[in-house]
Amino acid sequence: MKWTRETLRADLVALFGHHAQADTPVTEQSHLVADLGIDSLGVMEVIADIEDKFKLTIPDEALHEVDTIADVARAIESKLAAQGRLEG
Amino acid sequence: MSTYRARTLVEAIEEAAASTKTGYRFIEEASQAEPFFTHGGIERASARYGGALQALGAKKGDRVALILPDNADFVFAFLGAIRAGIIPVPIYPPTGLGKLAGYLENTLHIVARSGAKILLTNAEVKRMLGTIQAQAPELQKVVAVEGIRSSREDLHPAKVSLDDTAFLQFTSGSTSRPKGVVLTHRNLAANVRAIMERGIGIRDGVDSGVSWLPLYHDMGLIGFVIAPLYHLNTITFLPPLLFLKRPTRWLSAISRYRGSISFGPNFAYALCVKRIKDSEVEGLDLSSWRVAGCGAEPIRAENLQAFADKFASLGFDRRAFISCYGMAESTLAISFSKLGAGVTTDVVDGDALWSQGRAVPIDPESPRAAPIVQCGSAFEGHEIHVFALNDESSENPLGERCVGEIRLRGPSVTAGYFNEVERTQESFAGGWLRTGDLGYLADGNVHICGRSKEVIIVNGRNYYPQDLEWEAGKVEGVRKGNVVAFGTLKPHNDRERVVITFETVVTGDAPLQALKGEVRRVVQQALGLTVDDVVPLAPGVLPKTTSGKLQRSKTRELYETGTLLGRAAPRDVNTVEVAQVLAKSQLGYFRHALLGGKKSEE
Repeated sequence: MKWTRETLRADLVALFGHHAQADTPVTEQSHLVADLGIDSLGVMEVIADIEDKFKLTIPDEALHEVDTIADVARAIESKLAAQGRLEG
Repeated sequence: MSTYRARTLVEAIEEAAASTKTGYRFIEEASQAEPFFTHGGIERASARYGGALQALGAKKGDRVALILPDNADFVFAFLGAIRAGIIPVPIYPPTGLGKLAGYLENTLHIVARSGAKILLTNAEVKRMLGTIQAQAPELQKVVAVEGIRSSREDLHPAKVSLDDTAFLQFTSGSTSRPKGVVLTHRNLAANVRAIMERGIGIRDGVDSGVSWLPLYHDMGLIGFVIAPLYHLNTITFLPPLLFLKRPTRWLSAISRYRGSISFGPNFAYALCVKRIKDSEVEGLDLSSWRVAGCGAEPIRAENLQAFADKFASLGFDRRAFISCYGMAESTLAISFSKLGAGVTTDVVDGDALWSQGRAVPIDPESPRAAPIVQCGSAFEGHEIHVFALNDESSENPLGERCVGEIRLRGPSVTAGYFNEVERTQESFAGGWLRTGDLGYLADGNVHICGRSKEVIIVNGRNYYPQDLEWEAGKVEGVRKGNVVAFGTLKPHNDRERVVITFETVVTGDAPLQALKGEVRRVVQQALGLTVDDVVPLAPGVLPKTTSGKLQRSKTRELYETGTLLGRAAPRDVNTVEVAQVLAKSQLGYFRHALLGGKKSEE
């Protein structure tokens, strides 16, 4: 399956929506910890979901400097691009 | 056992090398490979890593810091150093989200405090550490492990005796800066014997283990790397982060490799209950799991119960559970509950426990019933007693079922902290190690109630912050596990006030008021304690250690100085706090981590 930058972001926002606490608005700019209330254990669960959805492996090291959903999107973009699965 | 002979870890490694059937298997996530090394293979690989360290200039007695996220690298480097008489100092690798500032501070502290001459890590972490070398005066080299994996340097074995220091075990230090516990080969041999013989009734060459535990932590390192070398057990290691990401992998490894021994903290069992779907574990067989150890953090019997219920259909036997009490200062283990008995609790009168410090048995159905997990009795050659906190000479042990500080002595107990004379003295009273844990003995069995320094005393009654936090965490909207309760004499210094702080994503005055009211109500109802102040905070504000433990005393300090409420969430703090340290390394790492160029993937 392939994504564009836009569909990737939309899918990520939706995916994070499942993990954020109820009634929390989720946007690309949402900070995983401060806005969505996801802790370091919770983030591993999200990563597993992301890997399943996008069929890729996210190395542990990629997490150290991820703050927002947009950061996650950028990390995934480069992987999809490397596999020829990013369009546009 | 009459044939028992204390051996150094060096002897254990060398003698295990003859075993061709047992060894260590390292499950890797990225490559999906599962390389297996016989104990002979481990002996040879460790010789190469040890030889490489010697070629880098490390000599007997030198400290070498290890930050090695890869399990195989860690095992070979650690054991190689040991054989060269070099003292390894394991340090945890960076994990989790954006906690780099705290990580660097902690790492620098450990490197400097241990006086490490060499820091062995991987290329990735080396880049992150940036300028660390300039700040640790004795650190001569930061070496990337990639360069020594295929080293052909010969090991020049050092003469190592039982009383030589084997390694430094830095404690995570929830309340203070990490201290390096000095462990000798004699400490290791004594604790390994206690764990393996009396603790879990090990069958040499027969029992096999599965572990996802981090190897920089005592339970993973001593329990699954060191002890099995003495008893020739095959161990399958999983990367810790793989378990956190996909907990099913732990259980499937046990099923696939017929694991009989596996340990985890309370949260690991809870995580399996929460995260694992029935469809993921279909067909797994957990009937080989003979000893399921639970330790390293307070044990909640209800969590283990839920695990046993959920996985009973896969053959998990609830009698496999043992409750474990231990700490780094006692090498690893202090006491284990009886093998084959499962988790047992001592149900006592909560009122009498908190108000009089007496553990009085009570009907489990009583509203005052407080179940306290039983952690077994002292190992052979070791002693455990309970003393009043102010008993500086440990001359008057308290009686049966009296709550006090748990203290111990015996061959597993460290001689002290590395280069910390004062803190070492503070940790002993009349030759007994002060554990800082409050508890009582009943029929010789240890029962832990909480940590002594954090007890909240209101009107002469003791309350344990863990209990307040547990209750508050049940309230909808409170981030479970992100609650800190403490007592403070501020602002009037007249009496102890009870404060509960917690993180929440709830915003708006009215919803927050309602949430605060609910927290007060729940705690009042459960513990009969009136909370003086309830402080909701934005997520990420509560101070944690870099290993993720909440810092109660730090939270209290921030509260008392009025800075807790003004404290920004991590995204606002990071750049300010660490700009200087990171000036050089940050950008490079940032780009690297996010934009790729890392590890193979398809």
